[in-house]
Amino acid sequence: MTEPVIVVDRLTKDYPVGFWRPRPYRALDALSLEVAPGEVFGCLGPNGAGKSTTLKLLLGLVTPTSGTAHIFGRPVSSVASRERVGFLPENPVFYDYLTGEELLTYFGQLCGLRASEARRRGTALLDRVGLGAERRLAIRRYSKGMVQRLGVAQALVQDPDLVILDEPMSGLDPIGRRDVRALILSLRDEGKTVLFSSHILSDAETLCSRVAILAAGRLQALGSMTDLVQFSVRAWELLLDGVDATLEHRLRETGATMTTLSPGRVQVHLPGTQPPEPLLQWANGAGARVLALQPVRETLEDVFLKHVEGKRRDVPGTTGGA
Amino acid sequence: MGLLRAVALNTFREAVRDRVFYNLLLFAVLLVGTSLIIGQLAAGQDVKIIKDLGLAASLLFGVGIAVFLGIQLVAREVERRSVHATLAKPVSRPVFLLGKYVGLLLTLGVNITVMAVALFAVLAVYQSVTPAGVQATWTAPALDPRLLIALGLIYVELAVVTGVALLFSTYSSALLSATFTTAIWVAGHFVGDLRTVEQIGASGTTVWVARLVSWVLPNLALFDVKAEVVHGLPVPAGQVVAAVGYGAAYGAAMWLIAVAIFQRRDFK
Amino acid sequence: MSGLRARARGGRLPWLLAAAALLVAATGFQMASLSQRPVRDLPAVLYLQSPTVARRAVLSFDMLAADLYWLRALQHFGATRLQTSGPRTFENLYPFLDLATSLDPRFVVAYRFGAIFLSESPPGGPGRPDLAVRLLEKGVAATPDRWQYFQDIGFVHYWWTGEYDRAADAFSKGAAIEGAPWWMRSLAAVTLSEGGDRQTSRLLWRSLSQTAENDWLRRDAQRRLTQLDALDHLDQLQAVVARGRLSGLSAPWSWAQLLQAGLLSGVPIDPTGVPYVIDINTGRVDLDRRSTLWPLPTEPRGLPGLAREPR
Repeated sequence: MTEPVIVVDRLTKDYPVGFWRPRPYRALDALSLEVAPGEVFGCLGPNGAGKSTTLKLLLGLVTPTSGTAHIFGRPVSSVASRERVGFLPENPVFYDYLTGEELLTYFGQLCGLRASEARRRGTALLDRVGLGAERRLAIRRYSKGMVQRLGVAQALVQDPDLVILDEPMSGLDPIGRRDVRALILSLRDEGKTVLFSSHILSDAETLCSRVAILAAGRLQALGSMTDLVQFSVRAWELLLDGVDATLEHRLRETGATMTTLSPGRVQVHLPGTQPPEPLLQWANGAGARVLALQPVRETLEDVFLKHVEGKRRDVPGTTGGA
Repeated sequence: MGLLRAVALNTFREAVRDRVFYNLLLFAVLLVGTSLIIGQLAAGQDVKIIKDLGLAASLLFGVGIAVFLGIQLVAREVERRSVHATLAKPVSRPVFLLGKYVGLLLTLGVNITVMAVALFAVLAVYQSVTPAGVQATWTAPALDPRLLIALGLIYVELAVVTGVALLFSTYSSALLSATFTTAIWVAGHFVGDLRTVEQIGASGTTVWVARLVSWVLPNLALFDVKAEVVHGLPVPAGQVVAAVGYGAAYGAAMWLIAVAIFQRRDFK
Repeated sequence: MSGLRARARGGRLPWLLAAAALLVAATGFQMASLSQRPVRDLPAVLYLQSPTVARRAVLSFDMLAADLYWLRALQHFGATRLQTSGPRTFENLYPFLDLATSLDPRFVVAYRFGAIFLSESPPGGPGRPDLAVRLLEKGVAATPDRWQYFQDIGFVHYWWTGEYDRAADAFSKGAAIEGAPWWMRSLAAVTLSEGGDRQTSRLLWRSLSQTAENDWLRRDAQRRLTQLDALDHLDQLQAVVARGRLSGLSAPWSWAQLLQAGLLSGVPIDPTGVPYVIDINTGRVDLDRRSTLWPLPTEPRGLPGLAREPR
């Protein structure tokens, strides 16, 4: 196996809380994990879990209390560790007196590009995130979704090999989310490593090769989607219309549980161990219509809730975020 | 070096976009307006008053800009969290701070240069309309090149004030930074008095504390040669050179302390 | 910059050490610059030397500007008194007061205190009773119904220049104003007939100490009264010395000698508790310089204590 992109070893961060006699508040407790090249890695957890803190530690925005972290083999305390990394902060704020194009040019220069090169990259990226028409517009006139897209663009300005996104979907409408999902997948296809944090599990489920679930500053679960989520069918859900008493009685004998939604319309819950086909035949025979039949699998949400339940906490002194 | 230049130029651009240079308009109006009024009120002293006013206004406006922008350098970026995206780029914090500092010095430099041009323009007009007989009574010529020394030292003073603003803004809020910096600026002009407190009856610990503070505070009186220049009195070159050296060393020290503080700062 | 870029984040000490080194260097520069700076002997900048110009130039802030000039006058007076080297010239005192009172012609404090400052004789003041009178006359011109200005003019004439006829003239002008106290008229009479009498002086100061509406003026008057007491003491002590001389005592003079001769019952002290001094050679008795009453006013003409030479 190749050298991991990110190596985190017992990383711990305490924030002082309180003005008079500040006490340490452990935002992150001995986190250890590795991210391999080409992975899309999701960092999941409720508010206050330590997701943002982890990402900020990786970018040197926050100094660890103890433990170490390396990116491409370089300690995160060194400036050089950030050379091949792009970062989208949570709810990003940029210099609003600049235009989108100017911001990307400036950030490109900060990444060591020459001004002309940076401008060229910036223009291409603005097109890629769908802001090509607004590139000469001052950022203060951008909507929240546009700023988020700009944030994604600036994270890619020096064509980094590792892209770290903090809550990339927040503030986006459904189309924006779809675009960002597509972008993450295309980055993966380009062979880049993506690390993102989210509390939206469906995104993680479709995108991630591996996830870490954090709660209360601690790592609760770590592994690939297939490790964490059982894909076997746990149950079947059947929606029938025009059910009469005979059919209802017959269905109940198979061990299914039923919920009557309205007269004649019934939702049937059948254990996964039983095949659903006979039920369909009986329904047909009794003249009832089958509106829906779907398998019930364990989702990431179930896994998440299992690990996180009872471990939520509110961060003192902040309003949301972690 | 490229990084430094990029940060500095962006800081300059921020000042321009914040319409900082509108103050120049006010300065010009003030200068021209006053010279018109003065001309009707008093004879003989008018050129001196224009110089007084021009120099005083360049200092005041400059300090206003230095404080106003100096605190924004870092404090506002941290408050608005725009610093997160910037510092996540491969930019070291010392270079970031230095770039901000240099960018502001550039802004102040452009500002004071335009002010100097305006001042000399008004004085040139004044000279051309004043009879030779009246000119003979002036203690210094209207277009005195030594005004540039006064303006230059004002610029050094602004650089020191900016350094102080930079230092405060690395760990304090924008509002507090502005207050502290203004306070230091005012106090910096009374350093001489602090060293002679015993003459006004202070004693014991007070004197020692005052002495100590007087060497830590920036001695901004060193940069004040306005009166000498306006009255045509000598200003030794050595004095000016040492004052410039003082300003450079003090400003650099402010940057270094700011770095020491900023290095360890967490951006939550 | 490459050095900076390569540096790992964390260590504060090197930066702080470098800053300390630079601050030390800055101190060197500071001393160098200060040492080369010529002693600043500039005419204190009045900016607007003509009161008429000043009134126009300060826009609607004339009251504030008057206050500022009054403060500058106070500062100038105080700072010059504290000055330890060089001649104490109070050259800007009158211009400041003139500006303050021109900007605010009803600035009572500036007239009355200003007159006291201006008349004070060196080294504690400029010794310019003429300017004091000029300032007060400006006040009279601005507000002719204030009898206090006449009282002050009379005082300046009486106490500092010894021109009793003019003092009496000022007192009687003041007495003519409606609302002036009854004793103004008697002041005028007494001054004219008995000018220079220490008893008259006492009457003047007592009247002031009783009527002054201001603590400072009252304290000043009380100090003057105490000084008059001290003058009385000095006359009595000088008489004691004269008696001693008659009974055969001679230099070196000392209080001990007079005590032994039974001429005194204790070392004499002035009203503030500081012992008087006696000149070892001449036997002249005087106030100790450390006494807060020092210097005593020059005695106006025709007083009993003429033996004391003018200072």
